Amino acid sequence: MAESRADVLATGRRLLRRRGRGLKPGGGLRGRLLAYLAILGPGMIAASAGNDAGGIATFAAVGAEQSYRLLWILIPITISLGLVQEMCARMGAVTGKGLADLIRERFGVRWTAFIMLALLIANAGVTVSEFVGIAAATELFGVPRFVSVPLSAIAIWWLVVKSSYQRVERVFLLMSLVFLGYIVSAFLAKPDWSAVAVSLVKPSFSFEYAYLFTLVAVVGTTISPYMQVYIQSSVVEKGVTLEDYGRTRKDVWVGTTLAILVVFFIVVSTAATLNKHGIHIESAADAARALEPFAGPYAEKLFAIGLFGASMLAAGVLPLATAYSISEALGFEKGVSRSFREAPIFLGVFTFLITVGAAIAVIPGLPLIRVLLVTQVINGLLLPIILFAILKLVNDRELMGARVNGRVYNLGAWFTAITVTLISLLFILVTLFPRLFK
Amino acid sequence: MLYLSQVLGRPIRDLEGERVATVRDVIVRLGEDDHPPVTGLVARFGRREFFLSRWRITELNEQGARLNSDKLNLRPFVRRDGEVLLARDVLDKQLIDVDGKRVVRVNDVQLIEAAGELRVTGADVSLQGLYRRLAPGGFFGTRKPVEVLDWADVGYLATDAATVQLKSSSGKLARLHPVEIARLAEALSYQHGFEVVQSLDDETAAETLEEMPAERQARILGNMNEERAADILEWMSPDEAADVLGDLPEEKAEELLGLMEDEEQADVAELLPYEDDTAGGLMTTEFVTLPHQLTVGEALARLREMAETPNMIYYLYVVEAESSWKLVGVIALRSLILADPAMPLAEVMRTEFQRAHPDEAAGEVAQRIAEYNLLALPVMDESGDILGIITVDDAMEILLPKDWRQRLPRLFA
Repeated sequence: MAESRADVLATGRRLLRRRGRGLKPGGGLRGRLLAYLAILGPGMIAASAGNDAGGIATFAAVGAEQSYRLLWILIPITISLGLVQEMCARMGAVTGKGLADLIRERFGVRWTAFIMLALLIANAGVTVSEFVGIAAATELFGVPRFVSVPLSAIAIWWLVVKSSYQRVERVFLLMSLVFLGYIVSAFLAKPDWSAVAVSLVKPSFSFEYAYLFTLVAVVGTTISPYMQVYIQSSVVEKGVTLEDYGRTRKDVWVGTTLAILVVFFIVVSTAATLNKHGIHIESAADAARALEPFAGPYAEKLFAIGLFGASMLAAGVLPLATAYSISEALGFEKGVSRSFREAPIFLGVFTFLITVGAAIAVIPGLPLIRVLLVTQVINGLLLPIILFAILKLVNDRELMGARVNGRVYNLGAWFTAITVTLISLLFILVTLFPRLFK
Repeated sequence: MLYLSQVLGRPIRDLEGERVATVRDVIVRLGEDDHPPVTGLVARFGRREFFLSRWRITELNEQGARLNSDKLNLRPFVRRDGEVLLARDVLDKQLIDVDGKRVVRVNDVQLIEAAGELRVTGADVSLQGLYRRLAPGGFFGTRKPVEVLDWADVGYLATDAATVQLKSSSGKLARLHPVEIARLAEALSYQHGFEVVQSLDDETAAETLEEMPAERQARILGNMNEERAADILEWMSPDEAADVLGDLPEEKAEELLGLMEDEEQADVAELLPYEDDTAGGLMTTEFVTLPHQLTVGEALARLREMAETPNMIYYLYVVEAESSWKLVGVIALRSLILADPAMPLAEVMRTEFQRAHPDEAAGEVAQRIAEYNLLALPVMDESGDILGIITVDDAMEILLPKDWRQRLPRLFA
């Protein structure tokens, strides 16, 4: 033998050390940055939570109808959203399983069926809202909805099932960044910042139907059930473990804060532009006007681009994510590369959601903004079901070991769940018995 | 034939027919048996759960259980080694079906009485089972047949209750091709996938790991006991082992390298200097060399006598002399077999052949392999010595688009 074992070992050690110091391509600082970005996912996903059609409509409506009156809810909702998302991310890191899996394994078939049904309805609503968003966006360009909606539906279906959806994802993502324009708009519209500051901390409450409707919509669109399932799946798929969980947790909170920050600016800019002039939001064009301080005459077109991108993105991801959850929980075959015979339920749910979404969005004369708000209200009403499931799981010591909720954390989380439930119940009461609190 | 869902929650009656408790769970002893026997029930009375040995039960069916004596031991139930609770630990969990080569979820458990003993015979993974759980009264019906997976075909039970040895059968799993085992392990959660790999013998574990993405390989090996990890690394082909070591944290990688046996350690160390994205990073050192003085017959005899034949023997690399690495020609196994045994290798071999330098870009070399329809390509240094070969399967991995394995589209991938 030319070299002794000790020599070989020494050489090997030296070479490993060289590799570790990142002398391979993409190593060093760049490599570490790439590694960080790879784990960055879940938080940024959270950040995009408010940016879909339903979200934009809800917050634009909040600003236009209620001016700054609902701003106080943003801070509590940031905390609530952060708590819920962090719990789901933590469950994903500790158990390595998705939310639907955990529900099936801990709660059994009956509860799973019930919760999956709730999820299906809520997500169907959100899918409808995405196609409505597509309709509204394309109509701003003069393309009628009975042309754009079916075409987009077919395109999305085909891209996801037959082709590579990932390639177009990035394009849509970039398009949706337009909504950051609301931040600039908010400053350019010169709102009364002292009034804004006061409203941020001064709670106001009302038993009026309109107020409660908006409140439930706001809750439903920020803490949407599908987002929690998605964030847990995302954490599991990225293979985040307890060791690198600290980074993920920071990232979830950062993402949440960023998301609500954008919401804040949307509300302020619509309040400062629309509410000030007494304009109500009845169509997408109205919501676009709040971008005028920023984009002038291009406001409408820019808004349309952003809305189209965000809606197309969600319209592809959401039905697919729902199909995955349901198939995973109930043990059906899944996978986009399967045929209808091999994975009937999976492809069936996916196709069903896209069809229903498109079918409803095509209805002529549909009050688009109204529909968008209603879908978020559905989200909000079904949210307690998911929240209680999450709470039960995250406090299960057998499942989470030492990583169950701490006492203070639990206080915040339970408070969120109970408050959301109360608001939803209140809303249902007031809808059924309008004279109750008059 | 009995299903678990038909028994759970049913009353337990005494000799007089009076209800004394409810069936909470069924205890089963896992082990060597293909069809594990039921060893007892967990009964619930008020708030208490206690153990009922099967010897105390005369019958068990959809109506419930009947005791055969009036004495009841109310000592609280405590789990023993090797025992598993069907409702708590098996129902709704995933398992690996070795026959169907898939991961399925247990919707119900089938129990059959044979020779006076109640045994677990299968897992119901069908829609029927799901409906039965939703409404035991048979409210939902479907004409689809029940699909029961024979428990003998269970390769691994993804539960947290029992030890790895009990819930996995490495013998059954080894029936599958390593590609299949890898795919199934990846379909389970990380922890369960890790246990599946752990339960395999070293050689199969190595072959299975090679079919997984590099980061996952590194994580699994990193979490294993070091001696075992080193043993598995020895079984892996040196280029794969070098890749994994490169993905592990430094100290761990050095430790594992240090634990490896001389020969394999040297093989791996040889490949460490090369960057990932080059021909050197892609090549393996497992290939066959033959001195060009041999005849065809002598070459074939030598192949048969080799203690360990590498996977790639379809091309044989002809070198200048016995202990030289200077490459002078390449022979396809096909040519070798068809040629006259008396002919010297020099006359059968090809002296013109495609080659690569270790610093060449991996993508370009892979393209060349595809273009020339090669099974492998030798990597040579400036002085003409052969350093390693790049096989077509490694080239394919580079050439195939990254998203050929479709999953949930990610917003920020």
